Parts: sequence; C-alpha cells; structure tokens
Amino acid sequence: MSIEIKNLSYIYNKGTAFEQTAIHDINISIQKGEFIGLIGHTGSGKSTLIQHLNALLKPSTGHILLDGEDINADSSKLKRIRQRVGLVFQYPEHQLFEMTVYKDVAFGPENMGLSKEETDKRVKAALENVGVDESVHEKSPFELSGGQKRRVAIAGVLAMEPEVLVLDEPAAGLDPRGRDEVLGLIKSMHSNLGITVILVSHSMEDVSRLVNRVIVMHQGRIAMDGALNEVFSRVEEIEALGLRAPSISYLMKGLNERGFGLPQDIYKVEDAVDCLLKVFQPGVCK
Amino acid sequence: MNGMTIGQYYPVNSRIHRLDPRVKLVAAFIYITMLFLVKNFWGYLFAAFFVSLTIYASKVPIIYMLRGLKNIIFIITFMLVMNIFFTKGERVLFSIWKISVTMEGLILSARMAVRLILLVVGTSILTLTTSPIQLTDGIEYLLKPFKRFGVPAHEIAMMMSIALRFIPTLVEELDKIMKAQKARGADFDTGGLIRKAKSLIPLLVPLFISAFRRADELAMAMEARCYRGDYNRTRMKEMKLYPYDYRFMAVVGAFCIAVIGSRFV
Amino acid sequence: MKICSGNILFRKKLTEIGDKMNMIKSLKLSFEYTQYNEEKESKEHLLALKDIDLSVEKGEFIAILGTNGSGKSTLAKHINALLTPVRGTLWVKGYDTNMEENIWEVRKTAGMVFQNPDNQIIATVVEEDVAFGPENLGVEPKEIRKRVNESLEAVGMSEYLNHQPHLLSGGQKQRIAIAGVLAMKPDCIVLDEPTAMLDPQGRKEVIDTVIRLNREEDMTVVLITHYMEEAIQAHRVVVMEDGAIIMDGEPKSIFSNVERMKEIGLDVPQVTEISHELRKNGLNIPGDILSTEEMVETLCQLKSKT
Repeated sequence: MSIEIKNLSYIYNKGTAFEQTAIHDINISIQKGEFIGLIGHTGSGKSTLIQHLNALLKPSTGHILLDGEDINADSSKLKRIRQRVGLVFQYPEHQLFEMTVYKDVAFGPENMGLSKEETDKRVKAALENVGVDESVHEKSPFELSGGQKRRVAIAGVLAMEPEVLVLDEPAAGLDPRGRDEVLGLIKSMHSNLGITVILVSHSMEDVSRLVNRVIVMHQGRIAMDGALNEVFSRVEEIEALGLRAPSISYLMKGLNERGFGLPQDIYKVEDAVDCLLKVFQPGVCK
Repeated sequence: MNGMTIGQYYPVNSRIHRLDPRVKLVAAFIYITMLFLVKNFWGYLFAAFFVSLTIYASKVPIIYMLRGLKNIIFIITFMLVMNIFFTKGERVLFSIWKISVTMEGLILSARMAVRLILLVVGTSILTLTTSPIQLTDGIEYLLKPFKRFGVPAHEIAMMMSIALRFIPTLVEELDKIMKAQKARGADFDTGGLIRKAKSLIPLLVPLFISAFRRADELAMAMEARCYRGDYNRTRMKEMKLYPYDYRFMAVVGAFCIAVIGSRFV
Repeated sequence: MKICSGNILFRKKLTEIGDKMNMIKSLKLSFEYTQYNEEKESKEHLLALKDIDLSVEKGEFIAILGTNGSGKSTLAKHINALLTPVRGTLWVKGYDTNMEENIWEVRKTAGMVFQNPDNQIIATVVEEDVAFGPENLGVEPKEIRKRVNESLEAVGMSEYLNHQPHLLSGGQKQRIAIAGVLAMKPDCIVLDEPTAMLDPQGRKEVIDTVIRLNREEDMTVVLITHYMEEAIQAHRVVVMEDGAIIMDGEPKSIFSNVERMKEIGLDVPQVTEISHELRKNGLNIPGDILSTEEMVETLCQLKSKT
C-alpha cells in the first residue's frame, strides 16, 4: 500500500469572483504502516488536502496515486477508494443517524455491498476495537455519552477495514481524559491492525505522543516534512509559521541558550526528567 | 453557497436601503397586486420603469437580481413552452402536427413571462435592501393589529429571523454530513426516486437532531440574555418614518395611478 | 477586599450584608436531576452538585476545572439562574437565585457565554446580535447604540460591526458573544468552556480578551474550562469532581498536586510535572513551577550552586 501525491493543487470556486487557491503543489509520499501527524493552522489547507485522499474532492491539478493508480481516473471505482482510505471528520458523532449502534456501524459495510455475515463480523470487530461493549450494540446511539458516540462513529469507518485511516482532530472538544482515551485507541489501532494512520491536529503535544512523522502545512503548502523529533527540535521555524512547538521543546531551547548543552529533540516528560537528572545527579545510576 | 438570493442582504447605503422596512413591505405588496392588474403594454412599461428606477436607486449590482431569476428560469421556460404551443387562438402562425402556435399564445406567454420576471426582480429588491431583522421587525409591526385576534406577531417575527439566520449554518452542516456519509460509501446520485429518497435519511436525521440541539442551546443563550418575549422590549434601530419614506410612498401612489389608468387606454 | 472592622455592631452589620460583599456566594448548593429508565418507570435521582460552598469576590478571576461529569457546567448555570438549587442557596450580588422575582436581575448581573459559538448568535448582523441583550432589558435606543459600540471595542471587534456573524472564525464569534453579554453591563461574566470548540488561535483571542476585561475593567470572571494553560492565568483555581469541590486555591498550589490531578483525569503543565518528578528524585527545587521561564531560571540557579 502506498500513496503518492504529485503536484496537487486545489482551487475553490474556479473561474468565479470567489476563486481561492487552497493548496499549492503538494508532493507527499506515504508508505504502509506510517503514522503521520498533519499539523497546521485553520486555513493552512489540511482539511482540503485530506478530502483529496478519498476522492471527496478532485484535484484542480496534479494526481493522487493509490498503489500506482490514479484514484480519480475511474469514477465507478470511487466507493472502493473510500473503503480503502477511511476518513473520520471532526466531531464524527454528528453523522450518527441509525436506530441502534449496530446498524449505524453497519452502514459502511452495507454500502460496500458485503454479505450479512461479513457485515456482522466487521461490525463486531470494529466495535470491539474501539472499546464499545456488546451490551451497547442495540442501544440508540443518541443515548450514549459524548466519548462513546465518538467511538461508535470511528467504528463506523473502521468497519470498512480501510488500509489507511485519516482522522481530523479526533480529540476535538474532549476533556483530557477523553482525549487520552481516543488517542490511546488510535495508537493501539495502528499497532494492532497495522493500518497507516494520518492524524490531523492543531496540537503538537497531542501528536507528539503518537506519530513518527510530522508534516506541517502553512498557507496551502508543505512547510516541513520529517521525523517527529527532527521537526519538533526546529523551534524557531515552527514559531515562524505561527505554531507552537511542544512545551518541553521550549524548555530545552531555553536551557540550551543558557549553556546546558542538552539534546534539542526531547519532547516527552520522562525523557526530560531523565536528561536533567543526568545533569544534576551525574553519579546516580538510573 | 453564495448563490442564494433568499435572505441575502446586500449591505450598502442607498436611498432604498434607508427606507423604513414597513414602507417597503407594504410597497412590495402593492406592487405585486398592481402586477396582476396590468392589462396591456403600458401597464408593463410603467411596472418595468418603476422597477428599474428602484434598482438604480438601490445601488445593488444587477447581477444579484439576475441570480434570483436564474433559479426560476426553468419555470419560465416551461410556462413559455406550454403557453406558446397549447393556447387556442385565431391567428395561427404555424403548425407542427396538430399543435399550432398562435399569436395569442405568443402574446399570452410573453405576458406571463414578463409578469413573473417583474415579480421576482421586485421581491428581490426587497430582500436585497432590507436586512432579515429589519424585515421581521417590519412584519411584526404590520401583524400587531392582528394580535387581538390571537396572532402572535412577535413570536412569528422572532421565529422567522432565527430561521433566516440559521439557513447558511444548516446548509454548511448538511454539506459536512454529506461528506462524512460519502466517506462511508453513501451514494446520493444513483438509483431511482425511491432509492434516492431513502439515501436522504442518513442526511436528514443527523441534520434534524443537530437542529434541535441548536434550538435548545440557542433558547438557553437567549434566556441568559434576559429574553422573555415581547415584555418591555426596545429596539436599537427604531422604525421611524422620515420625509423620504413619505416621498417614496408618493412615488408608489403615482405608480398605482399609472397602472390603473393604463387599464382604460 | 480587606475589611477593617472596629466595633462589634459594625461587624454584625457586615455579617448580615456579608453576602452582598461577595459577588457570588453559595451555601450548601445541591442540584440533582432525575433520570428515567427506558420504560419511564423507575426514577433515578442523580446528584449533579453536592453541598457546594463557594464564594467569589468582586474583581476575582476564578477558573473552575474538572472533567466532563464533574458538575462544573451545572454550577455555571446556577450562577446565571438558568438552573435553581434543589437544596441550598446561591446569591449573586446579594440576590437569592431561588426567588423567581430575582431571576432577571441575576441574569443581568452575571452574564453567560456558552461553548458553541454558533448557537449563541441570534442575528444576521453583528451589531444587531450585540444589541439583543440590552433590547431585552428595555434600554433606550440611543443608549443601546452606545453600548454596542463600546462592547465591540472592548473585545476588539469594532470593525466587524456590519459583518455577518456566520462568516467569522470561531474565536471571533465567541468575542461577539462576549460583547453581547458586556452590552448588558454585567458585574460578572461566566464562561462555560468557551474555548472547547476553538483552534489555538481562537482560544488565545478569547482568553486574552477575558483576561483584559478582568484586569482593566475589574470584571469578575468565572471561567469553566479543562485547559490548564487557561487555568494557570486565574487568581484562583477551583477543582471539581463528582459534583463536589475538592480543591480550591492558587494555581501554583493546585497544579503542584500532580498525582492527584492526574488521578482526577486533568492535565498539569508539562513543566510542573517535570519539576515535581525532579523534586521526587531529590533535586532541591520547588515542585510547583508553572512556566517554562521559571523552570529555566530555577535550573540555572541550581546549576550555578553545584
């Protein structure tokens, strides 16, 4: 499984007075199993970009290749593309509509034309993967708590067994506990199911706990693209883009400016603690 | 979603914009009535003249008027075709099979088309030059005399203005829901009428639920800002009649006289 | 507010009007709601608030932290009299919210801003929305005009007077909502998770506005949030869990309880956590450092000593 985005541009309202280029000349290569964080301001083009990945939007120029094939070449294959590349929008619980949790999750597989047995298998697996208990399956999705609803909505996309899962701000509007639960869920989905995950977020800190590659977008273009710790250590560059690096990066930078000589690519609490203890308690075994 | 002329207020400072909304509402009502009293070419001329004058005074670019027409172009064409080919008359121009095109038919369809165009353009002027809140204020005032008959004037006006305010928001939300369901393989384009109707359920159910939730939250927000219906309410923009309102009413009056007079020509 | 009291009579008078001294005061405030099971038969009384004793003084900026279900929103709605206590009492500027005739006065005094920016906006033009509050209060038209202009100025949105609200960003919409509340000239603003649905830019706009209102206009602010970077800017932090207040104090003392906060399911600033861990491992630094700058300074000082 590989995705190649080549020279992708998208212009809204082309040819009218309201014409606006949302994304320019995007080139990205995504391999199977990657866990990518896509970061940028509102208006940086992240939403527009991800909607191209499952052909909800068609490029104005450029191509998107899934395993070497242009996804927009054959409009009859759109459903298959959308099954292979699953997209979970922000506040996905707003799209729930069925009478029961089970039926809502089954919507995706049914649209794919799967048999009843296959659908049943997938629905149950998806709900289990998101941590929704069987006792809840026959309940109305509208009776559930916010966090549960969100998990059901994610299951709705998982049930299609996508190879790539794109999630737009999955922790939006959740409290710290809810956020940790959802992000933990996504992390285990990545490691257990072996799917490629693209996580769109504003928060460098949320993303820092999960991904191994970070792509930063700014005003419709790719500004930075690299390994997690490499990108996060470029604090000034991140600031120049109007974003905030994880707090610990600022701490490391501040200390290094005062001559501490610490590695700049630390962003986890435990690592920072270890590193600082080494400085102040050099003799102590850790 | 910029193409909708409903509730699409074009803010600019013109003579027409400054008119009292009540005056404009009554004028629109009179105008529409007059359109149906027009009997001949002169009447249409006076109407077209009146409308053009108003458009010019409103400083709203013509393109916005034409947008409203774009929506009804299908109806106009349909009507034209129906009337051209199916009106019985004496002065036959030519025939195809058994269907004949008569002069009467041509004239009748031209009349109906012109009337419809003038109607749509006229009412567009109203919505383009009057903000939704002004419109509902005007309607509320005009409905007040009917309060004694149990008509809840204020509540109706409030409902209308809130509905207008939420149209673009709900349209945006519908778009989001549609994309989310498409991402799950939903198909809104293929299939017969029944299939297409069924495919609307995953769109409408979430939209309705969202609308109810919004209504609930909005009601709380209104109460938090001390809303209690029409009790002691004042308005920042008071409706007062000024000399230019009276002048405009005189122009409307002249228009009426012209149209009624034209019937006797 | 420091009270210099002399004689006993004066002190007695103070205790009598004591409630009037506080902007907000609650005594054993409790609230429960009933939940029916599916067959609408058995009722369950769920206690959302348990014996809340809270007092907020004029000009204070307090942050109420808690996870979903802690009761913080329910408490906020009591301050604005959208909900009334099932047991106990809540006074806002001396007005008892249990008394129906006080409701409108309470709502005028303690304005409320909600979480969803869209679902608070009633009008299609910004200035008309800001005018909604004063119009409901029967304020004279010229005065409303003045208040609208002043309120928009106070939130930095004056140039958007004639704009359509639905075209604005989340942060801008919330500022309009705040302006709408300011136009009623309240003494206190309660904000119920106003930034939960905003992006970082929007969050900054809103919180900066709120802080400025508190510092420059002496507006009492009650901020319900779960973002600790917002809470650390308050004078006082109140932490709620399961309907009860479990911690109440200055940000430093609250956030230094790292384990407890994590237990509850709340965040602490990463720097605070680091200082706490370092201290646990024997380093001689305070365990309640809140900012990066403070941390850098402290570590530098420590380094120069060794």
